[in-house]
Amino acid sequence: MLSRNWRHLCRRYSQAVTFRTTEASPSQHNENQIGLFYTMEEAQCKQLFGSGGLPKSFMKQTKTFTETAIMVRQPALDLINCIKASDMNQPAIRYVLYGEKGVGKSLTIAHLLHYAHENGYLIVHVPWVSEWLRRTPRHKEMANSQSREGFVDLPLDAAAWLLHFKNQNQAMLKNNELKTSKEYVWSKREMTEAGSSLAALVEHGINRVKYACDVIDALVNEIKILSDSKVCKTFVAIDGFNSFFYPMTRLKTPTKKQVKPEEVTLTTSFLEITKNDWSNGVIVVTADQLAVPEEHQESFLPRYLLFKKGFEHLDPFVPIEVERYTDKEFLTCANYYRDRLWLRGPTEIETELKFTSACNPYNFMIQCAPL
Amino acid sequence: MSGNLRFLNKSITQSLCVLSRGYARRTSFPDYYQNPIFRKDEQSRLIEEGELSRRAKLPVKPPTVYESSSVYHDPLVNKVINHVMEKGKKQLARSLVEKAFENIKRKQIERYHLASSPDEKAKIELNPKDILHKAVENSKPLLQLTPIKRGGITYQVPGPITERRSLFLAIKWLLEATYEKEKQVHFPEQFAWEVLEAANNTGKVIKRKQDLHRQCEANRAYAHYRWQ
Repeated sequence: MLSRNWRHLCRRYSQAVTFRTTEASPSQHNENQIGLFYTMEEAQCKQLFGSGGLPKSFMKQTKTFTETAIMVRQPALDLINCIKASDMNQPAIRYVLYGEKGVGKSLTIAHLLHYAHENGYLIVHVPWVSEWLRRTPRHKEMANSQSREGFVDLPLDAAAWLLHFKNQNQAMLKNNELKTSKEYVWSKREMTEAGSSLAALVEHGINRVKYACDVIDALVNEIKILSDSKVCKTFVAIDGFNSFFYPMTRLKTPTKKQVKPEEVTLTTSFLEITKNDWSNGVIVVTADQLAVPEEHQESFLPRYLLFKKGFEHLDPFVPIEVERYTDKEFLTCANYYRDRLWLRGPTEIETELKFTSACNPYNFMIQCAPL
Repeated sequence: MSGNLRFLNKSITQSLCVLSRGYARRTSFPDYYQNPIFRKDEQSRLIEEGELSRRAKLPVKPPTVYESSSVYHDPLVNKVINHVMEKGKKQLARSLVEKAFENIKRKQIERYHLASSPDEKAKIELNPKDILHKAVENSKPLLQLTPIKRGGITYQVPGPITERRSLFLAIKWLLEATYEKEKQVHFPEQFAWEVLEAANNTGKVIKRKQDLHRQCEANRAYAHYRWQ
């Protein structure tokens, strides 16, 4: 009985403090909404993140909370302002998000993707690079590349990504102006003519998994050309980008030879799109400690995580640090958790949790779980 | 029946001292060393009663790591964690129990959102620790069978059970029911399931308790062997 009273009291208490904003459009977010949660529409969320994009633990939360709510935070706002202010005719600007483990880099990307989707960008989003290079399920599909000597293809992963790309850009791909500039010959009988739509190209990659990697290569080139000629504007988001520069992947060829990341065809394609030799685009990548093995997680700074090679590849870029919760953000988050019944009990608990989780968003969420 | 009630009443008053620390073997501290009092409410009670000035002069054992004045310290949860623990791996045991709590919480919140009327919602208990307390309370046996040899035959003789042992049996049964699982099912999931069942007065553990009670009832004719 006592706990029930507590619950009602807590709910009333939580409603007194605002922790939610009704502004559901990311392009309208401003400094007044910092620390407040906005709810993403379910259909849109499914379209954008149906096949990956949100962290697993967060997906679990969305199910328990019966909604997808993302906190409006400073780094995302900064980035949106930068994008709004920048001149799109200049070479694409690279932004690197970095920060400790669990501070919300991936969710910042999710927020930005929502912004990009709303503003009619063509989205090129890689949910998690380590999924390709570091995760090795028992039957990882690998093949030697036919088009390029000494390279390795990951056909199934590539096809899955193409499907992801197709889902995210359903509306954009219907646009008939997106056409290929040159002819691509896949085999004796299969070819994509110059002037066929991008949708057809993507469809070909999904249907003929064997050529998926080559299709991605072609797609990346086409997107660059199209953006450069101002047909569409492009938003590139790659999570765990530093995985591309770690000296070794965990992949092994049938002859037990370890594969380097630069020997994977997918790597070359996505390094190609992160160069700044094209315009009318935005490139956001994250440098994440979790994307590399534990022995190389000493620092979260981009220079350490990207290695010299990656740093030089991205240079010049705009570094944006995602930080732990501020006091205000922590308070609204705690109130949100109370409202969603995730956190209960006396209010002293919050001071304790603030201390033990050190305001780290992920730790805070995890430590609330058994309470 | 009245005996049962008295027994329950006693159990509530005893439950605190049952959960306080007891040592199986000798400790390095002499007998006159006092157990530490680390909860703020107990300390304030001591001050009110004026006990503090007397206790301040006595030597006190150091508190262990898990004896904290944190808001979410719970002696029963600590007990369960100790029962789950193997080879002194307390961190692991704790993480398992906490994951089970998380599972309980997720299940109950889901149920809460599914419930249609506010009345139904109010009935759903959401605090996993309260659920554990209820589950343990429900699975505590009130009687026990002791084997006593009379005339070359061993009889299972029903008799009263101490509070300490009934708590022990309740936790042991909960865990034994949990370990009876498929290999694919993980401990936290199964434990969450068993705790929820026991709190709801159904499931394997409650059946085991009722079986014991039935056996005691059936063997009541042997009860006099306890003292003869």
